[in-house]
Amino acid sequence: MSTTMAHVWPELQGKLPHTEADFPLQFSEKVEPSIAFVLKQARCQLYSGENASLLEQNAQIILDFSWEKLNTGTWRDVDKEWRRVYSYGCLFKVGSLCHGEASEAKLQEAIKTCDMGLLMGAAVMDNILQTLVGILQNKVKKRQPGEEDSNEEPAVKRVKGVSASVPEISPVAEIPRTQCPSLERFSMDFLALQKPVILKGVIDHWPAFKDHCWSIDYLRTVAGCRTVPVEVGSRYTDEEWSQTLVTVNEFIDSYILGKEEGGHVGYLAQHQLFDQIPELKEDIRIPDYCCLGEGEEDDITINAWFGPAGTVSPLHHDPQNNFLAQVVGRKYIRLYSPGESDKLYPHQSQLLHNTSQVDVGSPDVARFPDFVKAPYQECILNPGEVLFIPVQYWHYVRSLDLSFSVSFWWS
Amino acid sequence: MIWFGFGFNGFGQIYSTAKESVSDGDVEVKVFAPVKLSDCGSDGEKRQQLAASWSRAAVLRHGGHSCVRLCGFGSDPSRTPRSQGCRDALLSETHLTLSFTDRTECWSLDQTDSAPVWRMDHTPQESAELSAALPLVPGGYVISAPPFFHRLSPRLCVVSLALGVEHAVLLSASGTVFTWGSSSHGQLGHGELCREVEPRPVEALWGVAMRGVAAGGWHSVCISGGGDLYTWGWNESGQLGLPSRAVRRGTLEGAAGAGSDSREVFISIQAFPALLDLPQEAEVTRVSCGSRHTAALTGAGDLYTWGWGEYGQLGQETGCSSDQPVRVDFFADQGLRVVDVVCGPWNTFVCAEETDPTPHPDATETSHLSTTLQ
Repeated sequence: MSTTMAHVWPELQGKLPHTEADFPLQFSEKVEPSIAFVLKQARCQLYSGENASLLEQNAQIILDFSWEKLNTGTWRDVDKEWRRVYSYGCLFKVGSLCHGEASEAKLQEAIKTCDMGLLMGAAVMDNILQTLVGILQNKVKKRQPGEEDSNEEPAVKRVKGVSASVPEISPVAEIPRTQCPSLERFSMDFLALQKPVILKGVIDHWPAFKDHCWSIDYLRTVAGCRTVPVEVGSRYTDEEWSQTLVTVNEFIDSYILGKEEGGHVGYLAQHQLFDQIPELKEDIRIPDYCCLGEGEEDDITINAWFGPAGTVSPLHHDPQNNFLAQVVGRKYIRLYSPGESDKLYPHQSQLLHNTSQVDVGSPDVARFPDFVKAPYQECILNPGEVLFIPVQYWHYVRSLDLSFSVSFWWS
Repeated sequence: MIWFGFGFNGFGQIYSTAKESVSDGDVEVKVFAPVKLSDCGSDGEKRQQLAASWSRAAVLRHGGHSCVRLCGFGSDPSRTPRSQGCRDALLSETHLTLSFTDRTECWSLDQTDSAPVWRMDHTPQESAELSAALPLVPGGYVISAPPFFHRLSPRLCVVSLALGVEHAVLLSASGTVFTWGSSSHGQLGHGELCREVEPRPVEALWGVAMRGVAAGGWHSVCISGGGDLYTWGWNESGQLGLPSRAVRRGTLEGAAGAGSDSREVFISIQAFPALLDLPQEAEVTRVSCGSRHTAALTGAGDLYTWGWGEYGQLGQETGCSSDQPVRVDFFADQGLRVVDVVCGPWNTFVCAEETDPTPHPDATETSHLSTTLQ
């Protein structure tokens, strides 16, 4: 129970347009006059500052209404206007939560609200939610030391599933390693030939290995109160698999430090964490080799993969070249060339056609007899190493330790 | 007959005390218990019908001068479309559809047009044959966006049609249920999440003749000839009446829920129809769905509600959601029997009449059935 109060509103207000008239609310005709009316009402209440509870109510109406729109049709097809309306709903809710004296709990809720907007909404007003969450996060962070540590028992420092069995790598199938090749060498020997390779000595200089060494405590400090999507269930192909939204602290407590009962595996997978938390992006660098691609640097998709030992990405392929950089822990990885696809039994459905039906960990040879005939390469990727996975190369990934990897998709 | 409303009242569509002002404090946005609709009380004898969209309600008065009155957002009487003589009305967020004996019209509610945006004329023969309610029109059905009219095969022998946000549920004369559209949340009931372009019979229901269908935002409901209820689709707020993780988590919050059974089975998506029993195995005569809630009426004149309750749309005097049917005690407590129910996306409208004090239960039952089932 926290009784600390903060006057955070003046600082947030400084980031908003000075007057109600300068606050933009422009939408296409998709956004019906009735909901546009509620948006204007909320804007008026945000500036009059008279009744925070009415503002909160209108913010919730906007969120509930746009949330239903976000659930209509496939995610790809949702009109961007509704994602903008959702972001405005988050902005108004933050305004109502932070008015006057905001308790610790309200600040946390405001941070969560910003994250929901960043995850599900579309940027409005120069991505104002990103600006606001930065301010809010600083307010909370300053008060955290001492407050929480006293309650924490030292026993929970044990990390879940430390000793997963380490497979033996057959020397003939092992993916080759090379020490920091020149751009030309990499381009000629690997990129042009679409040959997988492990690059050593190319990410050692990242702050993530040095003064900002990525540890559980460090991640709690930088991102603990931030909400992220987490996959629960051992493989995304499983019936039981689901996605949920939790804070990084909750994720660490439940799935890394193992307080979660029932043995569910949680995986913060394929999430653009570095866009959500720019501070973390400072700790990594885009590999120079990406400049060999034709795309701009902005087109490179950077994803975070953070989880305990035992997370599995089923055998699949992606539509871009990939540098998989291993920062914390080890991963077992197996690769099949695109030429072997007919032995890998891809799923029939549109949604999973890039994924094999075979469980590489224990293949059903009766159902998938050709699978064992397919030649493959494999490796154990260690911290500081980067695996080049050529476009459309099939890959299966299993973490052997608490693991944090960063993937760069580029073309 | 008296109409009551409860649930979302952000635009004063259930009741408003002040003039135009909306969502700025003069009006209760969440109406948790049934209240009488202000402009329905006066001519209690006339038969009235009701339609609701997210921000409005439309009351259709039958009788000599039948016409539609709009309440809620932007309900300036001078801008209400000419509706004298209409037989049926359908309301969406953008359009009001009116059916007359000789034509069906679709009016835009956002523009001050003096003509409908779409119109279809009916021959006297077509009108005579068509007894079904909107959105059905001769030869097909009408939606509130271009191209407005969609053809339906006459072989379907359609008697009733319900439209969800992105799916359709059709009842044929033989009692077969057909669905098509998006199945993103299992709302088609074929056991798959694939889209269907053409009406496809729900095979799991074969052999049981149905007499009513309803569609919510992403869920579907039907009533069998024997008064059983079947539900399928999205159960995000318990709208199917099946165990919902989100609802249970909500009720456990705050309570000392340490002993909760972690092996409990929750249902998020129900891709096949599931039989839903009401308490005391009451026989269902009517059902209606909001975007994420469901309301059912029993032969005894009781109303049951379940699903999303945030705005009071369950009428249970709380903002709680429920993943099982609960009787709305208000009506029995007031000596009223419910005869009709119509859900808006986030609210519920109920028509009730005074319980007949004379002891002729059988006769009342029969006449009631004949009026509600038409």
